[in-house]
Amino acid sequence: MTTRATRTPRRRTVVALAVILAILAAFVVRLVDIQVVKADEHVAQSLEFIAHRTSIPGERGSVVDSDGSVLAESVLVYDAQLSPQVIRLLEEDDKNPPKLPWAEASTRIAEIMGLDADELRAEVAAKLAEDPDSQYLPLVKGLSTEKYIELRELKVSSYLVMKPREVRVYPNGAVAGNLLGYLDGTGTAQAGVEKMDEKCLAPTDGEESYRTGKNNVVIPGSESRVDAVDGGTVQLTINSDLQWYMQQMIAEEAQAQGAKGGTVTVVEVGTGKIRAAAEWPTMDPNDLDASSPETWTSKLFTYPFEPGSTFKAVTAAAVMENAGVTMTSPTVSASSHEKFENGAVINDAFVHPTFQYTLAGALIDSSNVALSKFGTMVSPDIRHDYLERFGVGETTVGFPSETSGEIHPTSEWDNQSLYTTTFGQYFTVTAPQLAGAYQAIANGGQKIGLSLVESCTAPDGTVVTPQAPEPEQIVKPETAADLTRMLENVAVQGGNADRIQVPGYRVTSKTGTAQIPDGKGGYKSGVYYTSMVGFAPVDDPQYVVVVTLDEPTRVTSSAATASAFQKAMTQTMKTYRVMPSSSPMDALLPKFE
Amino acid sequence: MSLNVAVRKPSALPGAPERAPRRRLEPVTDTPVRRKPKLAYALAALAGAMIIGAVQIGLSLAITQDSFVLAGLSAQQHELDLHASALQEDLTGTSSPQSLATSAASLGMVVAGAPSYLRLSDGAVFGQGTGATGSSTIDPNGAGAVSNSLLNDVPVNASTADDAVPEGTTGHPAQELPPAITDGLPSPSTR
Repeated sequence: MTTRATRTPRRRTVVALAVILAILAAFVVRLVDIQVVKADEHVAQSLEFIAHRTSIPGERGSVVDSDGSVLAESVLVYDAQLSPQVIRLLEEDDKNPPKLPWAEASTRIAEIMGLDADELRAEVAAKLAEDPDSQYLPLVKGLSTEKYIELRELKVSSYLVMKPREVRVYPNGAVAGNLLGYLDGTGTAQAGVEKMDEKCLAPTDGEESYRTGKNNVVIPGSESRVDAVDGGTVQLTINSDLQWYMQQMIAEEAQAQGAKGGTVTVVEVGTGKIRAAAEWPTMDPNDLDASSPETWTSKLFTYPFEPGSTFKAVTAAAVMENAGVTMTSPTVSASSHEKFENGAVINDAFVHPTFQYTLAGALIDSSNVALSKFGTMVSPDIRHDYLERFGVGETTVGFPSETSGEIHPTSEWDNQSLYTTTFGQYFTVTAPQLAGAYQAIANGGQKIGLSLVESCTAPDGTVVTPQAPEPEQIVKPETAADLTRMLENVAVQGGNADRIQVPGYRVTSKTGTAQIPDGKGGYKSGVYYTSMVGFAPVDDPQYVVVVTLDEPTRVTSSAATASAFQKAMTQTMKTYRVMPSSSPMDALLPKFE
Repeated sequence: MSLNVAVRKPSALPGAPERAPRRRLEPVTDTPVRRKPKLAYALAALAGAMIIGAVQIGLSLAITQDSFVLAGLSAQQHELDLHASALQEDLTGTSSPQSLATSAASLGMVVAGAPSYLRLSDGAVFGQGTGATGSSTIDPNGAGAVSNSLLNDVPVNASTADDAVPEGTTGHPAQELPPAITDGLPSPSTR
């Protein structure tokens, strides 16, 4: 039916449609390109102009002791500054004079901040003389909240600006200061628990974002806010009252003994929790500059020393379990100075004739010669294994820069160290490692890893307890019982017996005297790193106490630690209401045959 | 240019049968008079609408009011938090063991030696059972004092507390004390 007449208009229509569609298609392609393909890019571009973000700082978490007393917390302080320009403008405004004229306001401000009012006015005048449009005159930094409230009441916020700033406060001062560590000026943890538990304590900053239109007016509905998450609370196993006593006591004792330093460690036998870890000299994290930088970390965890005689108990455990030695038989003959077949020379700390020592007697008299003879009844490998079982060469709680001490493989033991390793030389430990070794003896041969941190409580209330290693039975319960009995005999029959009595309680104790390397390959002469370790009560051991003194000069031997040990043990028993011993001591063990 | 080129041609219907339907005759009835709508319905509808409107206004007013109250309360909470932390700051340092110990020491208290325990049920004594000597195992004011820089500007020694005591006692609480019993316990007189 198409005729020539109808064909021409139809073709025209088709062409027109095609043109329109083509243009439309071009627009669609561009639209898709803008809206879909490059959408993110364009959004990002636009946000550069209109979006604004501000970070909402979260608060760092607190550190509390085992009873919940705060040891470290974050508080806000305020840094005040003035705007001299605003003061000038307000004063010059005759029509609308300020409610509180500057003359009066300055007096009040100076009064609250503890400044001199005349000086303050002079400073502002000087600043204005220099530059009439000056907007910044810093005043007192670190104002307390109380002063902030007082200053705010003056209602002069138009020129007095107080910027909040977070600072770390340690309410108990130097109590546990070395354990807590400190933050540097940027708020970064530098040492101690602050560093060790950074993950728990650190807050997650929030963010506030919004978009603005013309003239920086916030576009309604564009605001979004992600709240900051404050840091968690770290609870330590430390008892701050006991910690305070130990610090006070060891400071007095160390000074009385003319020592360079001293430490006290208290460990709960049944749990391995460190209840006190005191040292002197110490530092107050509130005022770092008042103490010397060597005290800014914990020497307790970072200073290794040759334990000396305290590790004779470990040698005793090895020979009792592997050479059939009991507390009273066999015996060995030992004089105070002996030369062994391989050329090694061993001396005792005091001169004595040749005795037939029992193992108990060797421990009571702390005879190096007798222990050398007992110790070599088993192979060096067995003794090396026992040292490792008792925790030598292994860190305790993962304290920042904690040392694991040093233990040499038996292949490196020479003729002399073959014997000296039986009485605590040629390897090093820290005081907590020593406490850990005695914890195992006190706990029936079961070693429980030491802990310093009880838990981390997140702001939402979830409590995370650190994963504790499985307790390990390192010696037989009978061996541990025999060791305990011998160590009680050391306390009762040893040279310090009178000085370490804790009335009403049966205690064990063992002294240790370590030579101190002089840094030139030899040892310092005449000065020692002395220690004393023990636990109580013997009938139901509850707490292990380790006391060390660095180079005591009044009495240079381990006897110097006796008084500190006695006080530390007494206070520990009292703090934890440990019941006095109810059963009498077994018969005294014979020292010689 | 017109696009209406396709002219629709009328379709030619085939002839319909011419049979006309039978017609029925019915008497014309009166057209029913439209009744006036009842005023009550209109009023009810109007009132309903107004009530809804009023309730809506009321609710939104209440919400606005609440948001003011909420803002007021949060401001108040902020204020109280501020005061709480100011008070907390006052306690900081004073709550430390050093502060307690120095105060106790200046009152003449000592840290004694080993403890003894008394069992109440049978009076048994555990421990040495000796009394404490007058000497302290430590001296919180001595050379070993554990430092706390927070205490430097706060007076901790109890001497200030001592001074404060007499002032307090001479003040108000005198009358609050119970009457002194000099002639035996007071008893009601009968008869």
